[in-house]
Amino acid sequence: MSRVKDVAILGYGGYVPRYRIKASEIARVWGREDDALPIKEKSVNSIDEDVITMAIEACRYALRRAGIDLRKVGAVNVGSESHPYAVKPTGTVVAEALGIPPTHLSADLEFACKAGTEAMQMIAGLVSSGLIECGIAVGADTAQGRPSDALEFTAAAGAAAFVLGRSNGDEVAVIEHMVSYVTDTPDFWRRAHERYPRHASRFTGEPAYFHHTVSAVRALLEETGLRVSDIDYFVFHQPNYKFPYAAAKILQIPKEKVDPGVVTNVIGNTYAACSPLGLVRVLDQAKPGQKIVLTSFGSGAGSDSFLIVTKDGLERKRNLAPLLDSLIARAKYIDYARYLRHREKIRTS
Amino acid sequence: MRSGIRPQEHWRAKRFRYRLEVLRCSSCGTVNMTPRRVCRRCRSTSLVPERLPERARLLAFTEVKSTTDIHEETAPYLVGLLEFEDGTRIVAQLTDVDYEELRPGMEMEAVVRKIAQDGESGVIVYGFKFRPVIA
Repeated sequence: MSRVKDVAILGYGGYVPRYRIKASEIARVWGREDDALPIKEKSVNSIDEDVITMAIEACRYALRRAGIDLRKVGAVNVGSESHPYAVKPTGTVVAEALGIPPTHLSADLEFACKAGTEAMQMIAGLVSSGLIECGIAVGADTAQGRPSDALEFTAAAGAAAFVLGRSNGDEVAVIEHMVSYVTDTPDFWRRAHERYPRHASRFTGEPAYFHHTVSAVRALLEETGLRVSDIDYFVFHQPNYKFPYAAAKILQIPKEKVDPGVVTNVIGNTYAACSPLGLVRVLDQAKPGQKIVLTSFGSGAGSDSFLIVTKDGLERKRNLAPLLDSLIARAKYIDYARYLRHREKIRTS
Repeated sequence: MRSGIRPQEHWRAKRFRYRLEVLRCSSCGTVNMTPRRVCRRCRSTSLVPERLPERARLLAFTEVKSTTDIHEETAPYLVGLLEFEDGTRIVAQLTDVDYEELRPGMEMEAVVRKIAQDGESGVIVYGFKFRPVIA
């Protein structure tokens, strides 16, 4: 892709449900050893939450920070692999709940865990081209994991939203550059009408996650002429706690540039919301003038990588909505039986 | 269809359920929560759209254990009587909170949640509930 022309992040918002289940509780039920678990604990949606409700929560925080007139919103894109309906849009419910007038473009996107950054790219393109003044990009998921499968330890729930528009002098950050790197790689999939995805186990690592993530970051750095030392924060997709650090090691990125954007150990892999929530956590603590590289990964497979530079509006807007850490801190732990109920894995009919 | 949620009924109520938009009677001040042409109290036709605040104070609460089919998946659930700053009162479901954590006077905020669903194949009805304010 190329340099992005005048696209700013006017507001951002993250949402994590209240409920958590410890990986050790899942291991207890399935007789796994405690010492090799991929994360510590993960978020679980409430019984009354789904992608639509979580997207609304994240958007409300993002709009609170953006402070824009809702009539300026020309597009709402929601990326997810757990849209509540197979046929009936997610975005229209989200927009109506937010009070956005009907004259906007609504699109639901899917590309496994990179559907959220895909939404950002689409909105950035519409803003950059002048077709819309502002738009909202959302990544949200209540990720599915088959009981006893390795994914069940990490598949979590959350949402992140970004209000993108032209720079207005009070923006949180600007998106300066973005690239995508995609190939046909069958590492993880879910066929139509199936409740749970399947995956190719270790094949999801080297040829899928690492190849695409590393290639996208390298392409971004090459196109921008920047080096790792020029970047303050790197945010990666984080299907487990190890992968983002392993990708950083390949790219010779110091651990301290990755740490602030890693949330998977305490909320799990929130799929389309995963790397966007990492960005939210970085924005919660970055200073104006810092450079962030955000890189998603979606199975199937591909990565989107963005160069984002924070601006003066960040510090003024940050506390207009709850910080991600305060949402993470309100954890309420549930056992496996209650988890099954929240995830609608108990069939009553 | 298991329970008979009518999509058109939900569609008519969505402004209130999604955004707490009501029609306030300019003659008697009554808040009309569903779309209508005349005030439910004084029959005036002078109704003005208004959005209720997102925050309210919890006055009283209870737990509902016996429920209809459409709420079966979320039962038991909590219901509260809430009061907005202007004195308008509303009864609503409460979420993200346990009964033991509730106290009269708590500050609550409106959020949109699933309020009913018609099994796995029917419509999902979304609408406001109230939860403790997140700082």
